[in-house]
Amino acid sequence: MIRHFKKTYILVPVLAILSGCQKFLDVNVTPNNPTSVTPAVLLPTIEVGAAFANANELNRFASVVVQQLAGAGGTPAATDIYATRGDDFNNQWQGELYNSTLINANEIIRQGDANNGKAYSGIAKIVKAYGFSLLTDLWGDVPYSQALQGATNPQPRLDKQEDIYKGNASLNIQSLFDLVRDGLKDLDAATISPTTGLVTAGLAPGNDDVAYKGNINKWKQAGNTLLLKMANTISRKEPELAKTVINEVLTRNVYIKSNADDWNSSFGGSVGSQDPRYTYTVLSLFRDDLILSTRYLNLLRSLNDPRLPVFFTKPGADYVSVDNGFRGTLPTPITSWSRYNNYVIGQNGEGPVRVLTNFQRAFILAESALILGTPGDPQTLYAEGIRASMTLAGIPAAQIDTYITANALKGTQQERLAQIMTQKYIAFTGNGIEIWNDNRRTNLPALARAQNAAGIDGTPQVRLVYTATETTRNPNFPNPGPQTNVKLWWDID
Amino acid sequence: MCRILLGSWFLSLLFCLPSMAQDVTVSGRVTSSDDGSTLPGVSIQVKGTTRGATTDAEGQYRINVPANSRLVFSFIGFGTQEVTVGNQATIDVKLTSGQQSLDEVVVTAQGIERDKRSLGYSTQEVSGNLLQQKSEPTLLNSLQGKLAGVSITGASGAPGASTNINIRGITSFNGSNQPLIVVDGIIFNNDVNNTQNTLFGTQPANRLNDINPDNIESLNVLKGPAAAALYGSRASAGAIIITTKSGRNQNNKTEVTLTSSYNVQDVYGIPRFQNDYGQGANNLFVNNSTNSWGPGFAGGPTSITNLQGQVRPYQAYPNNVSDFYRQGRILQNTASIAGGDANRNFLLSFGNTSQGGISPNTKFVRTNIQLSGETRLTNGLKITGTANYVQSIQKGVSGGNGGSAFGQLTRIPRSYDLTNEPNTDANGRSIYFNSTIINPYWAVNNSLENGQVDRFFGNFTISKDIRPWLNVLYRVTGDTYTDRKKFIEAIGSARTPLGSVSQGSSFFSEINGDLIINARTNKFFLEGLTANLLLGNNINQRKAQDVFAVGASLTIPGYYNINNASVFTGSNEASSLRRLVGYYGQASFGYKDYLYLELTGRADQSSTLPSTSNLYFYPSAALSFVPTEAFKIQSDVLSYAKVRASLARVGRDADPYLLNSVYASSGFGNNVASIAFPLSIGGTNIPGFDIGGRIGSQDITPEFVTSGEIGINLGFFRNRIGIDAAVYETRSTQQIFNVAVAPSSGFDTRTTNVGVLKNRGIELVLTGTPIRSNGFKWDVALNYTLNRNNVESIIEGVTQSVINGNSFIGISPSIFIGQPYGVIVGTAYSRVQSTDATKPNYDETGQFAGQILINPLTGQFAPGVAGQVTSNLQPRYTVGLNNTFSYKGLALQVLVDTKQGGQIHTFGGVDVRSNGSLYVTGIDRDQPRILPGVIAITNAQGAVTGYRPNNIQLPAQTYWAGLGGLGSEAGTFDATNYRLREVSLSYTLPKTLLGKTPFGQASVGVSGRNLFFYAPGYFADPEVNTQGAGNIQGLDLSGQPNTRNYGVNVRLTF
Repeated sequence: MIRHFKKTYILVPVLAILSGCQKFLDVNVTPNNPTSVTPAVLLPTIEVGAAFANANELNRFASVVVQQLAGAGGTPAATDIYATRGDDFNNQWQGELYNSTLINANEIIRQGDANNGKAYSGIAKIVKAYGFSLLTDLWGDVPYSQALQGATNPQPRLDKQEDIYKGNASLNIQSLFDLVRDGLKDLDAATISPTTGLVTAGLAPGNDDVAYKGNINKWKQAGNTLLLKMANTISRKEPELAKTVINEVLTRNVYIKSNADDWNSSFGGSVGSQDPRYTYTVLSLFRDDLILSTRYLNLLRSLNDPRLPVFFTKPGADYVSVDNGFRGTLPTPITSWSRYNNYVIGQNGEGPVRVLTNFQRAFILAESALILGTPGDPQTLYAEGIRASMTLAGIPAAQIDTYITANALKGTQQERLAQIMTQKYIAFTGNGIEIWNDNRRTNLPALARAQNAAGIDGTPQVRLVYTATETTRNPNFPNPGPQTNVKLWWDID
Repeated sequence: MCRILLGSWFLSLLFCLPSMAQDVTVSGRVTSSDDGSTLPGVSIQVKGTTRGATTDAEGQYRINVPANSRLVFSFIGFGTQEVTVGNQATIDVKLTSGQQSLDEVVVTAQGIERDKRSLGYSTQEVSGNLLQQKSEPTLLNSLQGKLAGVSITGASGAPGASTNINIRGITSFNGSNQPLIVVDGIIFNNDVNNTQNTLFGTQPANRLNDINPDNIESLNVLKGPAAAALYGSRASAGAIIITTKSGRNQNNKTEVTLTSSYNVQDVYGIPRFQNDYGQGANNLFVNNSTNSWGPGFAGGPTSITNLQGQVRPYQAYPNNVSDFYRQGRILQNTASIAGGDANRNFLLSFGNTSQGGISPNTKFVRTNIQLSGETRLTNGLKITGTANYVQSIQKGVSGGNGGSAFGQLTRIPRSYDLTNEPNTDANGRSIYFNSTIINPYWAVNNSLENGQVDRFFGNFTISKDIRPWLNVLYRVTGDTYTDRKKFIEAIGSARTPLGSVSQGSSFFSEINGDLIINARTNKFFLEGLTANLLLGNNINQRKAQDVFAVGASLTIPGYYNINNASVFTGSNEASSLRRLVGYYGQASFGYKDYLYLELTGRADQSSTLPSTSNLYFYPSAALSFVPTEAFKIQSDVLSYAKVRASLARVGRDADPYLLNSVYASSGFGNNVASIAFPLSIGGTNIPGFDIGGRIGSQDITPEFVTSGEIGINLGFFRNRIGIDAAVYETRSTQQIFNVAVAPSSGFDTRTTNVGVLKNRGIELVLTGTPIRSNGFKWDVALNYTLNRNNVESIIEGVTQSVINGNSFIGISPSIFIGQPYGVIVGTAYSRVQSTDATKPNYDETGQFAGQILINPLTGQFAPGVAGQVTSNLQPRYTVGLNNTFSYKGLALQVLVDTKQGGQIHTFGGVDVRSNGSLYVTGIDRDQPRILPGVIAITNAQGAVTGYRPNNIQLPAQTYWAGLGGLGSEAGTFDATNYRLREVSLSYTLPKTLLGKTPFGQASVGVSGRNLFFYAPGYFADPEVNTQGAGNIQGLDLSGQPNTRNYGVNVRLTF
């Protein structure tokens, strides 16, 4: 009996444990991270992410290539002599655009569509289209139609830049224009107050919308202005398509019309919230890697441009700059160097990043009126652009008038185009990507080779090299991929 | 619920125990068969149990044993003898001397003591005296060169820096590949708690550093999965079983032991520099240049003006780097008191180690207190317990390229007087020759981490022989610590210019409850067939919590409290809880002391796997055959032979919380500019979250390691020569891995079961006594390790994937099909190939295949190809040779070892070469050079028609810089090295001298470590590993250098 009893005594608990331990073992739900969140906390991520991508490495790079800044050391010094590597630009793929701004935009669209939040869907599509325009304008062919599908497609194919901009039904590629149009449709579907533009039914963005505080009317203007920007970008390669899109926007007559409509992405004035251009040029150990370019200083001086002291600092008696590609003893003391001023980076790092602006819209329309023959007077639109930029820079109206008079459009079409592009170049100080896009597209304003030009063949970069992180994980990428001297599809000369 | 169940069950079992024991008392005397002298301190073990006794000063012993048990008598330097008790009350034993015993008892999995000859798998034992007093305060480092099949690499010479250990290669893509550490039955956490990115961190300790080497009685390495199968999942990377000292062998005496040592450390292994050319570029002085491509000191300017406008002589400062380091010191003291016998004993030990490193502001201070004891109650219940408290304090300085002192020490112009130039201005900011760089002295004083670990661990075991053939044991072990860290960066720091204070705390606790029931018989159906059946249950819980807060933008300089911060830029809590219930069994059979079979099985149920499929089973089998015993071979040549074979499979669960995809608070940027949500914009706090980079999976299944091993043990000339050889193959499958996905998919990794990883290897341990005469003895122990690791597959469509951890873009430690684990994948030079006409750089003649392509416009290397294997850290083989010479009380131990092959990827190495500091860059600097490679010949259409050798001459500066800088293939060097690892000389004072003193034993010694190395393929010490213990190895990303240690020690007992 005792023997028998003992045996069961041993067996019973073993069985009890086997069956009863599931609860004991049921402890695998993470306390560290949420498993679902709302669009209200995703929207700031994508808006700020897109602006951050624009303003950090990409702006440093592009502003040096277009010779507004010069590289005094580190990576900017290499950029300045056209030596750029693939691993210089990884964050945009891994952290800022693809696996942050863009994937989260998709998530907002999914949740917005499912939860009566078309306003969110619309904004997210516009931000997404802007993000993809950055990617294709910098790298050319990039994953687009098959991107952002996670485990379903861990190795998306590359779509041709032409297909990204124009769409390709046979490959199931929606054009960026159609993506924005979809977004605008979503915005139209949202119920909004006609006066404030705020959503009155369903999920309503508010302070989480860093750019426009939930004003959907402003997003409609921004979406249309993005159409103008993209049309402008491809206008030399595809003039007819560009013209169609621009006319479509002009007909709709909804676009950024005043500086107050600008898509600005502001940052904060304390560490951890600051514009990366501020952090880099004021705070970081690498702050002395960048300095005002002597070439840009000379341009602004030759135009007697009142924006010079607004854009750049003059800590000493005069502006202190360095020529692009200069390789000698740098000017001393370093505290005398001219750097980005508050207009660009904010008093304490507030920025903003000017993503889409009124002056940009005016210059685009001026250019297309001149080149494509779209409606409007080039001179008027050109003057509007200068006025918008100078007003933004705080220049008094009388001074603006004098400047516009002194710099009226004149000469051949190409000369007038050069004037427009030069003014757009100046106005966009601090947004190097837009300038670089324009400069690759039009070669205006004409920039002389940097000193000590090196890199692949001594010519300026006209694209970025794919990051190794992507090429090593995605066999669809050519390896080695195109180097920095290979032109993009829309860059015809 | 089930803990309560098990506990009550166990308690009720206890109540039925007392009446069941049937012990007999045996006593006797042990003498030497040579001269009949009595042998004190002989160990007497009841075979198959933990019971034992030792002989007293007169060679007498007394022990209570179950009838019919077998006693094993063993004594160092004598052959082991086994005697069956039967009805004998007195057993006198004569032991034969001169016979090296190859069949002694070792501690194996779950604390089971086993006769070595019965093991069908490989273990290797290291006795405590080989680990103590060797100028080395950390245990793992002192094992270097002493074990076959084990690879051990320290991070650096920084005090307390972690040490990586892998047994028989890497077996898991993602999990920990560090062996399981078991100290006195306690599963002992050996994690490294990194609060910072490992690329820039301060090299925190691995927690095995909490062990005082002076306290170790013996250490046994269970190499293969077969040996460790009973421990389950975590021992699939092998196990190290540490037994600390106890009062067991004190023969009822109480003895106090004092050990004390003092060592100094000098920097060792930094490159040799040139001293002919100073700061600048293109033979011209440039005041902010980090290069030494300036004018020669002979014929150059006599003085220069620095960035601060001061005039300074232009001359070489040959020791400006080496003088940065100071002399480190290590003071170690241990006092212990132990007493008792095999049945009742105690030990109280107190140890303190205090190390000040070669870099300013680095130290490691460890205090150990241990109390342990054992008693057997009159009712036969045996109770064992140990309680330990450890406090480890570590102070470290940041490493890494860019902002750290060590990242800058490789960029000091040869003409800069680092030692004497000021480094800090009146405002507490760094002063340096270049404003974008922090002065290294300033950096080591202003970028620091202070950590303090308070740790408790202990066990409590009750066991009882319920029947002579049945033993029940319950063991509870616990291990818990809190690691509190504070990292400060002063205002003006490279990485946080406005300063920051980070406070972090890592808590860990592990509890194990093991019930082990052991039944045995000496006659299992057949005469001479013994059987032992063990059944066990393990309940395991591991809990961890890391919390930290980062306060930035400090207001008051020099005040490092988090309340001095203006902004909180990061705070987080990461907690984890995992539980596991295991059921295991072992059946061992022995036939007439020459044939042994052992079968084990274990089933684990883990909380980290999907609940529908969280139970997994794995078996092992081991066979051992002793022909010398079986065929009664009585030969003076072949004294012992054993062949063995084993086959095992071990399952492993996942890390916690891998099943779901999650969201996380967002942040953007890198080390130069970054933001983190919530953002404070215009007074409003705006939270932001994003989808985490990892895609979770509800479908993951356990991963498995399957291993086969065959081995042989041979003893020749009365075991004066011993050979222990093993070959093995390990196959790891279904690896739970966060496999890399293309960023364009919107994610970074996805968790899934992937791949096959294979290890094959040979281990050889050769022991011998070449000379033994007139009291002089020379013992040799040689170990040889060869391991070939190969990633056979990953998952469809993926040929490479990065290993989890911090890494730089383009220097990614990876798994790569067809390559060993952990190869560095980066951008390789473009090379001519002759295998694929459709790919670029094809040479149909094959003449130039493998040559590097040169850009004909610049004479420098053409743009590289990303995603190539640029470095492989795995050595071809390693050899360690330990010699011990003893004469009377004198003992000299000399350990040399070598690592053949394997590569290291270094930042510092390419830095000093491309910036013109390295010795070789000063030779013939005025001569032009040509980079090795070929130039493509193209036709009018631009098509490549052939190649010609590069003939473009470059100045020295362009040439050396053109070889490649940080992160290029040029950073890879052959890590082959030969090392005089350890030398120690000790003298034990003869008893006659101690007669009038209170001392029972006294010895004094001197020792040294890392006294010399030779690395033909690299100009500095390749044996560093800045990422510390973990799966990422083979990198030297600007860490602290190694040291050469030497000092004196003394040991007294009374």
